Amino acid sequence: MNDSITFLHSSDWQLGMMRRFLGPDGQARWAQARLDAVMRIGAVAKDTGAAFVVVTGDVFEHNQVERQTILRACEALKRIEVPVVLLPGNHDALEPGSLWSSAQWLGHAPDHVRVVTDSLPFEIVPGVEIVGAPWRSRRPLSDPAAPGYSELSPAPAGTTRILLAHGQLTSLSGGMSDVPTIDQAALEAAVADGRLHYVGLGDRHSTTEVTDRIWFSGTQEVTAPEETHPGNVLKVTLDAAGIEVEPVRVGAWHMVEHHAELYDEESITALEDWFAELPEKERTYVRLAADGSLPLPLLSRLDAMVDAQGEVFASVERWAKFWTVRPAPDAADLDALQLSGPARAAMEELRQALAGGDESAGAALTLMHRLARDAG
Amino acid sequence: MRLHRLTLRNFRGVQDRTVDLPAIGTTVIVGDNEVGKSSLVEAFALVFDFPDDSKSTRIRDVQPVGQDVAPEVTVELTLGGRELTYTKRWLKNRSTELSIVDADGRRQTWTGREAHNEAERLFAENVDPVLWQTLMVGQGQSLVLPTPADAEPLITAVTAESGTPVDGASMPLVIAVEHEYLRYWTRGGRPTGEFAKSAQYVAAAELAAEQALKAMDEVVADIRRAERLALDLADLSGRLEAHLESVEDLRERKKATDEILLRRDSIRSRAETARARLENHTRTRLERERLLAEVDQFTKADTELAERRKDAETVARKAAEIVHAAEAALAEVVELKDERRAEVQDVERLVTSLMDRAELDRLLGQQAELVDVRARIAAAGAVLDAISVDDAVVIALEDARAKLVEARAALAAGVPEVLVRRTGAEAVSLSGTGLDAGSGKKVPASLSEDGEVELLVSGELVIGVPGQVEVKVRAGGEAATLRAVVDEAVRREKDLLKKARVKDLPAARELLRKSDQASAELQEARRTERSLTAGGDPAERIAVLAARLGVVDGEEPAEEPSAKQAAVESVPGQMSLFEQFEPDENAFDFEDLEIPEPVEIGELPVAQRRLDSARAGLAEAERLLRDAEFAAAQARKAADEDRSEAQQARARSELAAERLAAAVEALEAARAVLDDEGVEAAEIEATTEVEAVLEELTAVQEQVDAAGADEVAGELADALAVATRLQGERDVLRDSLRTTEGRLEQSGRDGLATRRDTAELDLAAIRAEHEALKRRADAARRVHETLGRHRAEAQTKYSEPLQTRIESLGRSVYGPSFRVWLDDDLAVAERELDGARLRVEALSTGAQEQLAIITRLAISHLVSTGAGSVPVIFDDALGWSDKARLRDMGALLGRAGDHGQVIILTCMPDRYEYVPRATFIKLDS
Repeated sequence: MNDSITFLHSSDWQLGMMRRFLGPDGQARWAQARLDAVMRIGAVAKDTGAAFVVVTGDVFEHNQVERQTILRACEALKRIEVPVVLLPGNHDALEPGSLWSSAQWLGHAPDHVRVVTDSLPFEIVPGVEIVGAPWRSRRPLSDPAAPGYSELSPAPAGTTRILLAHGQLTSLSGGMSDVPTIDQAALEAAVADGRLHYVGLGDRHSTTEVTDRIWFSGTQEVTAPEETHPGNVLKVTLDAAGIEVEPVRVGAWHMVEHHAELYDEESITALEDWFAELPEKERTYVRLAADGSLPLPLLSRLDAMVDAQGEVFASVERWAKFWTVRPAPDAADLDALQLSGPARAAMEELRQALAGGDESAGAALTLMHRLARDAG
Repeated sequence: MRLHRLTLRNFRGVQDRTVDLPAIGTTVIVGDNEVGKSSLVEAFALVFDFPDDSKSTRIRDVQPVGQDVAPEVTVELTLGGRELTYTKRWLKNRSTELSIVDADGRRQTWTGREAHNEAERLFAENVDPVLWQTLMVGQGQSLVLPTPADAEPLITAVTAESGTPVDGASMPLVIAVEHEYLRYWTRGGRPTGEFAKSAQYVAAAELAAEQALKAMDEVVADIRRAERLALDLADLSGRLEAHLESVEDLRERKKATDEILLRRDSIRSRAETARARLENHTRTRLERERLLAEVDQFTKADTELAERRKDAETVARKAAEIVHAAEAALAEVVELKDERRAEVQDVERLVTSLMDRAELDRLLGQQAELVDVRARIAAAGAVLDAISVDDAVVIALEDARAKLVEARAALAAGVPEVLVRRTGAEAVSLSGTGLDAGSGKKVPASLSEDGEVELLVSGELVIGVPGQVEVKVRAGGEAATLRAVVDEAVRREKDLLKKARVKDLPAARELLRKSDQASAELQEARRTERSLTAGGDPAERIAVLAARLGVVDGEEPAEEPSAKQAAVESVPGQMSLFEQFEPDENAFDFEDLEIPEPVEIGELPVAQRRLDSARAGLAEAERLLRDAEFAAAQARKAADEDRSEAQQARARSELAAERLAAAVEALEAARAVLDDEGVEAAEIEATTEVEAVLEELTAVQEQVDAAGADEVAGELADALAVATRLQGERDVLRDSLRTTEGRLEQSGRDGLATRRDTAELDLAAIRAEHEALKRRADAARRVHETLGRHRAEAQTKYSEPLQTRIESLGRSVYGPSFRVWLDDDLAVAERELDGARLRVEALSTGAQEQLAIITRLAISHLVSTGAGSVPVIFDDALGWSDKARLRDMGALLGRAGDHGQVIILTCMPDRYEYVPRATFIKLDS
C-alpha cells in the first residue's frame, strides 16, 4: 500500500423510515431531508476527491418499501459520481423477496452502484479490495461480520483491504442485543495481522470510533433524540503512514429532548427562552418532558406556548410518560374571577378534588377557569 | 307603591270620574262593559309614560270621539314613602302638575316637563318594571303564568329569605359551560361533533393499520417460508444428485449382465417348447388309455343293464295280476254293502210309517176337539154380533120408561077423567081430540051395550047419543101441556127401543143377560183353541201325514148349529141371527180321509230292533269294503312302481348300448391316426428332449446367479423409482419456492412495509388528536356536571321562599296534597295534586288561571314587606272557575288584601261575592 486512498463511509440511510412523533407534514419534510443528506454525500465526495463511497448496511428501512422510495433513492445515488458500494443490512437483508433482487431496484439502480451479495473480495479501484458480509436473513445465526473475513489470508502486498459489515459490537451492545453480535476482539485481530486495513461498520446511528481503523459512520440524518453524533459521513484516508478518519456533517435536522421544571412564572419564561434560542426550528423536533405544578393562569400560558411552538418547530411533543405538570389553583385565581354562588362552589369542589389527587379534576378546573375568565 | 285615588276626565267614555281606593285590603271595582274599568289602569300607565305634549296615537285614542276636549288624569299615590298628587292634561290646555309631601310633611311642587321628569324618576326608582308588569294583569292576561326571575324586589326578598346569593353574575359562565359541553356531548350524554367524528376516524385508522400490519405479517411469514423452502430445496437437490450417480453405476453393471440373461432367455424358450411338446404327447397317450377304458366299461354296463331290464319286466307282470285279484274281491264286497244298505232303508221306511200313523191318530183327536171349539167360538161370536143391547141401552130405556110413567101420572092428575058407560040401548058415540084410554088402548068410536070406557081428556070429548043428547067435555088450560109431555116421553121410549132393536124393556134386559153369557163362553173357547193350536194347526200336519201315508176316505164330518140358533130365538121381539153364521173356510177338508187302523202296541219296537241289526250289518259290510279298497290300492301302487322300474331299466339299457357304440367308434378313429404303440413311442422321445434342455438351463442359471444379474435389474428399477420420486419432490419444492418468491416480489412492488408504517403513523396522529379531544370533552363534561349540580342545589334553595308561599296559598284552595316546582325563572313548571304531578301546560284552563293568580298573590306577599311592593291588579279574572273554586279563590283574594293592595276590576261581581272584607266600588255608566 504505497498510494494514499480516500473514500467515504456512511450507513443506516434507512430510506423509507417513518417517525410518528413528526406528524404527516413533518414526516414528509424529514423523509426528503434524508435523501438530501445522501445527495450531500455526493457533494462531499466531489469536494474531498473520494475514490468511492461505501454504505455499511440498512440503506433501506425495509425490503418492502414503496416504489417511490426506491426510485428516489436511485435518483439520489446518481448524484454521487464515484462508485458506490451498498451492503445489505438487517433492515434490507438478502432474504427471499429482498428488494435487491426486485425488478424495481434492478431496473433503476445506476451502473456505478454495486450491491454486495457475497463475501468474495473484489477490487473497487486499483489497489483497493473490498470484502463484505451482507445479511442474508434478519436473524443471522452467528457473528454477522465473520463471513467477511474469517476465511481471508492477509491482503496481498500493495493491496488495501476494506471490510464492510453491519451489526452491534459485543462490547457496545452490553449484551442487550437479541441477535448475534460482532466479535470486536476477532476484528481487531484481523486488523492487527494485516488481513484488514479498515473496518466500516453500520447499525449504530451515532458516529462512533471503535478503534482507529474500526468505525461506525452513524446515520446520515438524525432519527431519534437519543443519538449522540448523527448526521455525519466519514471521510477515510488510508496510506502507508496510517489512517485518518474525519466526520463531515451532511445532516440538517435536529432531534432534542428537554426536561423542564415548572413551578412559577420564571420557570415558564425560562422555557420560552429555551425554545427561542434553538436554531433551525423548522428542522427540529423537540421531545418535551415537564413536571411541577402551576397556578391556573400559568398553566393556560404553558398550554398556549407549547401549542404555539408546535406550529413553529417541525414538531414539539409533550412526552406523555414524563409530563406531570399539575394545575395548582390558589384562592387568588378563583377570587380574580369574581365568581359567586354555584359557580364558585363548583370551582371549589374541583379544586379540592384536585388537591385530593383527582388528576381529571385538574383539566376540568383549568377549563372552567378559562371559560370563566373569557366569560367575565 | 299604594294607589289612593284616580280621577279621569274626558278619558275615552268617561266624562268625569273619581275612584278612591283603600290603601290596604282587597277592592273590587264593579262596572258593566264600556264603563271604563280598564281605562283606570290605562290612565295610570299613560300619566307616567307620556308627557303632556305627546302626540302619541295612544293619547289621541283616549280622547272621546268627536269631542274637542282635553283628556285629563289625576292620580294620588304613595311612592317610596312620599305622597304624590300627579295631574296631567293632554292635547288641549296641556298641563302637568306634581305635588309631593315627604315623610316629614314637607311639600314640593313641580309643573310642566320637570313635573313629568320627576314623576318618571320617582316611579323608575321605586317601582320595579318587571314586578309591576307581573302583578298588573290586564284583560285576557289572567291565564299567563308569571316569570318573575328578574324582578329585583322579588330577588331581594328571596335572597334575604333563602340566604342564597342570586347567581346572575355567573350566567355568562353557565352559558359558556353549556356551550363547551355541547361541543362534545349531546344533551343525552352521547359524543357528538368533532369528538364523535374523531372516534370514528380512530376506528377507521385502527382497521386500516390492522389490515396493513396483517398484510406485512403475511410477508414476513412468506419470507420465513421461502427461507425454509430454499434450505429444503438445496438439501433435496444434493440428495437427488447423489442418488442419480448410484443409478448410473447400476446401469453399467446391468449392461454387463444383460448378455447372460439373453442366453438364459433363449434356453428358457426352448425348454418351454420341449415341455409343450411333451405335454402334447402325454395328453394323446392319456386320451388313448381313456378310450380303451371307456369301451371296456360300457361293454360291462350294457350286459348288466340288459339283465336288470328282464327281471324288472317279470316283476311288473306279477304285480298286474295281483291288482286284478284285489279289484275282483273289492267288487264283491261292494255288492254285499249295497244289499245291506237296501235292507236298512226298507226297515227305516217301515219305522217311519209306523211313527207317522201314531202321530196321525193323536192329531185327528186334537182336530176333532178343535172343530168343536171353533164352532162354539163362532156361535158365541154370532150371538154377540147379533145383540146390540148393552148396559147403557138398558139404563137409557129404564130412564125413558120412568119419565113416561111420571108424565102419564101428571096427565091423569091434570085433566078430567071421564067415565062413559052405556046404560041403555042407544048408541053412544065418542069422538074428540086428546083422548086417552090408558095404556095405549084405542078409544072406541062408540060404546057397545054396557060397554064403558074411561078416558082422560086432554083435548075435547064429544059424547053423543044421536038424536038425543051431545055432551062436550073440554080439558082445562094445562091439559095440552101435560099431553105434550106424555107424547114426548112416549116418542123418546120408542126411539130408544128402535135403536136397540128390541121390543120393550124386559126384552132388552134378557138380551143383555145372553150377551154376557156369550162373551164368557167365547173367552173360554178361545183359550181352549189357543192351547190346541199351540204346536201349529193340526190340520196341516194331518194333511202332510195323510199325504205321506197315502190314506183316503168318503166320510162327511158335519156341524149342526141348531142349538145355537135356539139360544137367541127365544128372545121375543128379536130378529133372526143365522144369516150371519158361516162355516170356517180354512177348516181341513176331510172328504178323502181314510182313517188307517191304529198301530198295534209293540209293532214299532220290533221294527226298531230290526233297524238296529240291519244297520250293524251295513257297518260290517262297509268295514270289509274299506279293507278291500286298501288292499287294492296297495296292489295298484306296487304295480305302478314295478312298471316304472321296468321302464327305467329299459331306458338305461338302451342308453348304455348307444354309449358303447360311440366309444368303439371313437377308439377306431384314433387308432386310424396313430396306433397304440406309436403313441407311447412319441411320448418317450419328447421326455428325453425336455430333460436335455433343462440341463442347459440349469447351467446358464448358475452363471446368472454368479453375476447377480437378476438383482441388478431389480436394484436399477428401484433406484429409478426413487429418482423419479425425489425429482417430483424437488419440483414441488421448487414450485412452492417460486410461488412464495412471486408473492414476495409482488408485496415488494406494493411497498407493504411503507403502507404499514404510513397506516401506523396516521393512526398515531389520529389517536393523539382524539386523546386531546377526549381530555377536553371529559373536562367539559366534568365542569358541566359539577356546575349543573351546584346550580340545581342553589336553585332549589333559592326558589324555596316563593315555592313555600305558593304552596301555602294553594293548599287553602286545593288541600294539603298541593305542591309546585319552579324553574330557573322562578316560574311554576309543575304542579302535584293528590299524588299526580303534571306540567302546567297540561292543566285545565281553570286550574292554570287559578295557579297564575295564586302565584301572583304569593309574589305580592313575598315583596309586601319590602319598599318595592306594588298593588296586585286583576282586570277581569276567574272566568274559568266553578262555584266551589270561586269560593276558595275569593277567600284567598280576601286574605291577600291583608298584606297589600289588591285591586280587582270586573263586570261580574258575583264571581267575587265570596271575597271577605272586600270593598266593592260600583261604577255607573
